[in-house]
Amino acid sequence: MLEILPFDPQQALKFLLILLKGAVMTVQITAGSLVVAIVLGLVMATIKTSRVRIARLAVDIYIEIFRDVPALTLLFILYFGLAYLGVKIEPAPAAIVGLGAIGGAILTEVFRSGFEALHFGQREAALAVGMTPMMAMRYIIFPQAIRIVLPPVGNYAIGLLKDTAIVSAIAAPEIMFWARNLVTSTFETTLVYVLAAALYFCMSFPLAQVVNKLEEKRRSWQ
Amino acid sequence: MGFWQGYIQNWDYWWPQLAVATGNTIALTGLSYLFALTLGIILALGRLSRIRFVPGICRAYIEFVRGIPALALLFLIYFGLVPLGIIVDSFSAAVIGLGMNQGAYLAEVFRGGIEALHKGQREAALAVGMTPAKAYRFIIMPQAVRIVLPPLLNMLIILLKDSSVCSLISTPELMLRAKDLASMSFLPMHAYLLAGLIYFLMACPLSLMTRRVEQRLRRGMRRITA
Repeated sequence: MLEILPFDPQQALKFLLILLKGAVMTVQITAGSLVVAIVLGLVMATIKTSRVRIARLAVDIYIEIFRDVPALTLLFILYFGLAYLGVKIEPAPAAIVGLGAIGGAILTEVFRSGFEALHFGQREAALAVGMTPMMAMRYIIFPQAIRIVLPPVGNYAIGLLKDTAIVSAIAAPEIMFWARNLVTSTFETTLVYVLAAALYFCMSFPLAQVVNKLEEKRRSWQ
Repeated sequence: MGFWQGYIQNWDYWWPQLAVATGNTIALTGLSYLFALTLGIILALGRLSRIRFVPGICRAYIEFVRGIPALALLFLIYFGLVPLGIIVDSFSAAVIGLGMNQGAYLAEVFRGGIEALHKGQREAALAVGMTPAKAYRFIIMPQAVRIVLPPLLNMLIILLKDSSVCSLISTPELMLRAKDLASMSFLPMHAYLLAGLIYFLMACPLSLMTRRVEQRLRRGMRRITA
């Protein structure tokens, strides 16, 4: 057919369709871990601003552990280690729990610095002009906090999207998993991995541009 | 107590292997960090240079590498180049892959450090009679280091953890050894927990030090601006 191309376009298209199937799973795992990470992060950031010393210490220990252990090791503990103890988790949920647990440690710091960036005088002022605590939260605190927190959370989400690649090691059927499968059945290593890399790039690059825009906006707003 | 039995029985067999593998992980991390630092400085200078096409090429590299997972890059280098006749052993592929990946991130760190310094600083230093070398030594460097050092240390921690991914291209490092031991002894929980502990023992001092440095530098910065 097209002799100019170093690969068979029809075959490339076939590969791409299979990889796209993996991309759906990649997005699902990313979204799931992001939700887990945000919930964990919010809860732990709230605890860190509380006055219970032991609770704060527990959060600090959690953050330190999950900052210092590789995601792959954690995934293996969750997937293979727990299976050995008789607790069987499917690959995708294990991935969401593992990546989400690590993300929670990262986002706790993000949310906490977001909370701290807002002077508590803001809330007091809002209450002083007669707002209810709910109103102060809704109209004063939240709109400012979201602007501070959104760019780092966005950056985290992009990192997460790429981190999901290692989930293929516990056989969750995402992009890299299908790529490895295609390679073992066709031996077209170059083509398959270039396509997989391109697919990741097409997902993360636009996201990165959006986050850059948000960061610029935030800088001009400050 | 049944759980500890697994460690006690296998300890004599496990620990020499894990020690070697941990050494490999450290070597892998150190080498790829050196590579990444070099690449990062070159790319940062390239992005700021005025030679035509050079900033564009550097930017394209940085954006592309930052847009794909480290694992995809490792697979491309280790498996993807084989049909083109380029065969790299797994350790070199790991060093190159991790270095290329981190280099793109470090380039942005260095660029941020260089750009954060107003060029008026250098001009002012020259105006008060400093030589360019003195201006660099006493004005530019001390400030640039403050900006760049914390992210550089953070990157080292990230690199140490990312090196575990190289086990997937069968680089003989800690995670691969743990995987071997797990499948040989049928004790996955023991092996992976131990691997996690070793990573933690390496990364925790680094991350505590990073936070110490961050706090120290923040104190210094406040004194400057005040």
